[in-house]
Amino acid sequence: MITQERYRTTVKELLANGSIKMAIGYRLGSTPDRRRPLFIRTSEEADQLVLDSTCMTNLSGYLVTEGLLSDEKKVGIFLRPEGIRSINILAAEYQLNADQIVIFGFDSTGRDVRPLDGRNVGEFSKLLNEIKEHPLQIVKEPLHWRIEKMNAKERFDFWQEEFSRCIKCYACRQACPMCYCRRCIVDSNQPQWINTSSHTLGNFEWNIVRAFHLSGRCVQCGNCDRACPVNIPLRLINQRMANEVLDGFDHFAGLSPTQEPVLASFKKDDTETFIL
Amino acid sequence: MSELKFEPKIVAFVCTYCTYAGADLAGTSRLKYAPNVRIVRLPCTGRISPMFILKALQKGADGVLVSGCHPGDCHFTHGNYHARRRWMVFRALLDFTGISPERVMFSWISAAEGSKFADLINSVTEDIRKLGPFDQYQQLIKETESPATL
Ligand code: SF4
Ligand code: SF4
Repeated sequence: MITQERYRTTVKELLANGSIKMAIGYRLGSTPDRRRPLFIRTSEEADQLVLDSTCMTNLSGYLVTEGLLSDEKKVGIFLRPEGIRSINILAAEYQLNADQIVIFGFDSTGRDVRPLDGRNVGEFSKLLNEIKEHPLQIVKEPLHWRIEKMNAKERFDFWQEEFSRCIKCYACRQACPMCYCRRCIVDSNQPQWINTSSHTLGNFEWNIVRAFHLSGRCVQCGNCDRACPVNIPLRLINQRMANEVLDGFDHFAGLSPTQEPVLASFKKDDTETFIL
Repeated sequence: MSELKFEPKIVAFVCTYCTYAGADLAGTSRLKYAPNVRIVRLPCTGRISPMFILKALQKGADGVLVSGCHPGDCHFTHGNYHARRRWMVFRALLDFTGISPERVMFSWISAAEGSKFADLINSVTEDIRKLGPFDQYQQLIKETESPATL
């Protein structure tokens, strides 16, 4: 509550003195445990701001909305550490100018919300490096271990079972801040790479491609997981890929706004044990 | 039908400057190798998108081979270095989702390695023959009612 009140005041101040033209935060949603995005332009709107442990959504995707940042004015945004990482990635991929983003950082343990120090993305680099050093919790998920123990056939069956529920709504893509392409590969029909109907083969291809395009870019915010109407454990695949680039290339996505994207760079001595 | 011996269908994506030239050399040297491989020639390994691999499987391939110039030999200086990273990640992804890495293989073959090419095709064909047809995937293809054209 204190954090929320403080941030309301901060946002009002910054709006009043013109340092930001808008702040993106959370407001009450349709159920007690849901929050919806709030776009604050006035001090009255700032009073609707809610900040508590149920504010999970990574809002950074809204920043790449067409035209939002083109006037070079600053925009404030409420972000958890994962969200801050996605700002770094968006900046590294030239989707936005990190200096235009004013960060209102927060994190939560249990029901307690605490603010994070810093306003510019650069000020969080110590925090992000600490996160890199600490193994991510999701790896310990029982499901992950279960899959690691399976053989290829069992894994295939496991994922077919999961993917067979997919209805190709593309909510996972829309919800992901890293999926900003104007024209996604699944929307292309000349050539058509992926079967568009939602039979299992098409679903499998779609989910593989989605995971591949997010390899080394996913920040584990969980937007996709929460968006999926049929509860496919999408984040699990992304986590596996994040571990892969961390082990293989010591790459932790979103450490700084100038970090080279892992799949757009190389080292001459990259491992190649698998090449015949 | 079931009496018929299983012949693996393998799709090879190769770069034109090294592996394709190597395949050419195998041909002009009259080396015999397994006829199970369909070669697709591309300008560079950097051009070989993971989509190609999925497309090959979607059309009914039992195995896929991707091959290009040795590191340092790329005609475009570093296409194969980019490709190598991409393969490594893509391979892990396939492994995690249940496509055995034995079905999707990668190699470096230079224009001078005609005999390596012939040997590799033979050994890859044998490996896939041992693994058998990619039934699980082909079952999915059947469900789509679109023909596996390979
Ligand atoms: S893939 Fe999912 S967890 Fe990863 S950045 Fe996108 S929405 Fe977040
Ligand atoms: S959100 Fe779920 S159901 Fe929708 S396309 Fe993504 S994986 Fe499929």
